[in-house]
Amino acid sequence: MRSKMSDILDVVTSKGLTYQQKLYNLANIAERLLDPREILEYTDEEMMYIENDMICDLNEGYAIYRPRYIVPDYYVLLSKGCKFLDLKPPTDLDELLDSLLILYNHVPSITSFPVFIGDLDKLMEPFITDEEKDYIKIKRFLNHVDKAIPDSFCHADIGPEKTKAGELILRAIIELENPTPNMTIRYDKDITPRDFALKAAEACLRVSKPSFSNNKKYYSDLGDHRIVSCYNALPHGGGAYTLPRLRLGTIVKGVRSLDELLSDRLPKVTRAMASMIDKRIRFLVEKSNFFETSFLVKEGFIKRENFSAMFGIVGLADAVNYILKLEGLNEKFGTSKRGDEIGHSILKVISDIANSHEGVYCERTNNRYLLHAQVGASLSQEDYDNTPAHRIRVGEEPILPVHIRQASPFHEYFTSGTGDLFALDQTYLNKLDAVLDIIEGAFASGARYITTYLHNTDLIRVTGYLVKKSDAFKAGQGHATLRDTDILGYGTNDRAHVFERRVRVDGK
Amino acid sequence: MENKAVVNRIIPFSNVDGPGNRLAIFFQGCNISCIYCHNPETINRCISCMACVSGCPSGALKTCDEGVIYDEKVCTECDRCIKTCRYNSSPRAKIYTVDELYKIIDDYKLFIRGITVSGGEPTLQAEFITELFKRVKPLGLTCFVDTNGFFDRERISGLIEAADKFMVDIKAIDNIDILCGTTMKNNIENLKYLLRLNKVYEVRSVIIQDYMDVENTLFTVASILKEYPEVIYKLIRVHTQGLRDEQKEKVKDKVPSAEYVRQLGEKIRDIGVRKVELII
Ligand code: SF4
Ligand code: SF4
Repeated sequence: MRSKMSDILDVVTSKGLTYQQKLYNLANIAERLLDPREILEYTDEEMMYIENDMICDLNEGYAIYRPRYIVPDYYVLLSKGCKFLDLKPPTDLDELLDSLLILYNHVPSITSFPVFIGDLDKLMEPFITDEEKDYIKIKRFLNHVDKAIPDSFCHADIGPEKTKAGELILRAIIELENPTPNMTIRYDKDITPRDFALKAAEACLRVSKPSFSNNKKYYSDLGDHRIVSCYNALPHGGGAYTLPRLRLGTIVKGVRSLDELLSDRLPKVTRAMASMIDKRIRFLVEKSNFFETSFLVKEGFIKRENFSAMFGIVGLADAVNYILKLEGLNEKFGTSKRGDEIGHSILKVISDIANSHEGVYCERTNNRYLLHAQVGASLSQEDYDNTPAHRIRVGEEPILPVHIRQASPFHEYFTSGTGDLFALDQTYLNKLDAVLDIIEGAFASGARYITTYLHNTDLIRVTGYLVKKSDAFKAGQGHATLRDTDILGYGTNDRAHVFERRVRVDGK
Repeated sequence: MENKAVVNRIIPFSNVDGPGNRLAIFFQGCNISCIYCHNPETINRCISCMACVSGCPSGALKTCDEGVIYDEKVCTECDRCIKTCRYNSSPRAKIYTVDELYKIIDDYKLFIRGITVSGGEPTLQAEFITELFKRVKPLGLTCFVDTNGFFDRERISGLIEAADKFMVDIKAIDNIDILCGTTMKNNIENLKYLLRLNKVYEVRSVIIQDYMDVENTLFTVASILKEYPEVIYKLIRVHTQGLRDEQKEKVKDKVPSAEYVRQLGEKIRDIGVRKVELII
C-alpha cells in the first residue's frame, strides 16, 4: 500500500515506538511514497487489487533495494572469515560468537534485521571444548541476540543431527525464556536421535521453541534449504526476493458462486500477483544494484542464483466460510467436509497458476514462485476477515487428532512454508514421548511444520513468531516495547484471539 | 452373530494410558464398584428406565422402543444425564462391532503408538477385545489392557495371549469388599501370573485411608515388583474432584497427606522397586 506524507509526522510523534522503530518506519514510508505505476510499471489493474485490499504487499515498498529474506551461508565465515568486515576465520568459540554478532549487523531483510542467523549448533560444534564454560558463553550469546536483534522473525536452525552444541543451546533457551531467536529443529526421525528429539520437544513445550520441521519433505521439495523468519523454507545461501499475499477472505467478497470465484475472480487476481512479483524482482535484480554491491554476494555468503520468490495466501478459512454460507450450509471450515473440498479447490487454482507462470531470476526453483501460507498481519481493516494461512479460525477447531488430519493435506501446497500450532496442557510435559508421536504422525500424514506450546506459558507463538503475552498486551495499550513484533502480536490477537487457542487436554 | 460390545467412550489421543500417544477405548461394565470411582457411569449397562431423557437440556436424548437414542451432534457434554442416572450407567454409550472400532483406529494409526482398552473392566469383554487386538496388531500398534486384576485366567486366556501388556490397578489386598464391594480376591495372584509372562507395563494403587490396608497392599506389591525392574509402580493420592456428592462425603476425610504419599514412595523404593511414580 502507498504511504502518505502525513504518515511521516504520525511516526515521528508516536508514543508507542522506540527511536529505532521510528527510524525504520520512516525509511519504510519513504519506500512507499513513490508511485509503483511509475517506478515498477504496475498496471492500473494491479494497482486496483492493492488498493481494494485483495492483494497485500505487506508494505514491502516500491523502491526495492534488498531482498525480503536473506539466508546467508554462514559456513563461509568458518572457512574464509569476512574480508569486508575484516574478520579472520574463527579459531575458538569466543571468536566465532563475536564474528557472528558482527556479521548479523550487516545482513539486510525487509525489517532490516537478519531473518536467519545460521545453523547455530553446527557452527558452534567444532569449538566446543568445555561444556560448562561453553554453556555460559552460548547463553550469553543467545541473550545478546534477543536484545540486539529486537525482531522475533530472527530465526536459528538446529538439527537434524544431534550435537553437543545443540544440547547446550536447548538448555540455554529454556533458561532464558526469550522470544528471539525463533528456532526450528530440522527433524528427520531417521537421522535425529530420539533423546535429542525429546529434549527439543520439551523445550518446545516450555518456551515454544524449537518448532519441528519435516526435513525429509522439505529436502525433497527444495534441496538444501533453511527455515527462516516465521517458518519460511528457503534455499540456503540465497533467500526470497519478495512475498506478496492474496487475501482470500477479501477476494471472495461479493462473488455469487464458487464457480465465479474459481473461474473468474481468483485467476484474475492471482495472475496479477504473479506479474507484480515479476516486476518487483526485475527492479531489484536489474536496477537496485543490490547484487552488485553487497559484500555478502561478493564473498559467497549468498548467490543471486539461490533466490526465489514467495507466493503468499492468507484467509483460506474465511473464503471457505463465505462459500459454505452461499451454498446454504451451516458449517465452518475445519469441521466441514465440503469446506475442505472448497479449500482444496481454491488452492488448486492458485497453485496451478503459480506453477505455470514463468518466473524471473528464479532458476534455483525451476523459474517458479513458491506457494507460502502467510501467517497474517494487521495492516488493514480487511485483515480482520483474513485468518492466518489455511488455519481454522480460533475457537472453531475440532479436537486435536481431527484437527491435525484436517490440516496436514493443506501443507502439501506450500513449498516455501506453512505451519500449524497446537497448545497442549501441562500433562504432556511428563509425556514427551506422546508429543513426539503426535509430531511424527503429523509428518507421516504429510505435514511440513508443527509447533506446540503449553497453554500457560508467557512466551507464546502468535502466528509463527514468538512474543511474550505480557509484552504484547503492553504494546496494545500504547507503550513502547523493545520488539516491533510485540505490536504485531497485539494486532493479531485482537483479530484472531490466538492467545485463546484451544488447549489440548488428552485429545480434547 | 457378530461380536459387539458397548463402549462408553473413545479418546483418540491419550497420554496417560501407557507409553506414548495412545487411543483409549473405555468399555461399559464393571465387576466391582469402588468408593472413589471417578467414572461410575461406566459400571452398568443402561436398563432403559428413561429417567435421563427429559433432563437433557439440549435435546440430545430421545426415546424409542429399544431404549434411549443419543444424538452426539447436539450433545454439549454437560454430563447432566450421567448425574441423573441412578444405575451407574450412561445413555451416551454406543454399541460397536470389531470392524467399526478397527476403522476408527486405522484412521489414527499414524499418530499413535498403540491402543489401550479400559473401562469399566475390559476383561469382561475379553472375547471381543481379543478379536479386536488380532485385527489391530498388523497395523504395527501395541495393545494394552487396563484391568483391576479381578478376572478368571482360564476364561480370558486368549486375551492374555493377544495383549502386549497389562496395566493392573491393585485396589487393596484385605477387606476388598469395603472399598470395592466385591468378594473376589484373586488380584494379586493374577498380577503375579501376568508378571511371570512378562505382560505387565505398570501397576497402580490409589491411596485412601481407612477403606484399604494401605501399607499391606503397597508393600506386598512392592516386594513382588522388586523382581521386575522394568515395571512401573504408580501411587495415586485419592482426590475428590469430580466425585458425586455422596462419594465426596465418604472420601473427603480419607485423603492422605502428600507427605505421607511421598514417604510411602520412599519405602517402596527402599524395598527395591526401581520405577516409582507419584501422582499427588
Ligand atoms: S451430556 Fe447428557 S444431558 Fe448433557 S447434553 Fe449430552 S446427552 Fe444431554
Ligand atoms: S442411562 Fe441410566 S437413567 Fe438413562 S435410561 Fe439408561 S439407566 Fe436410565
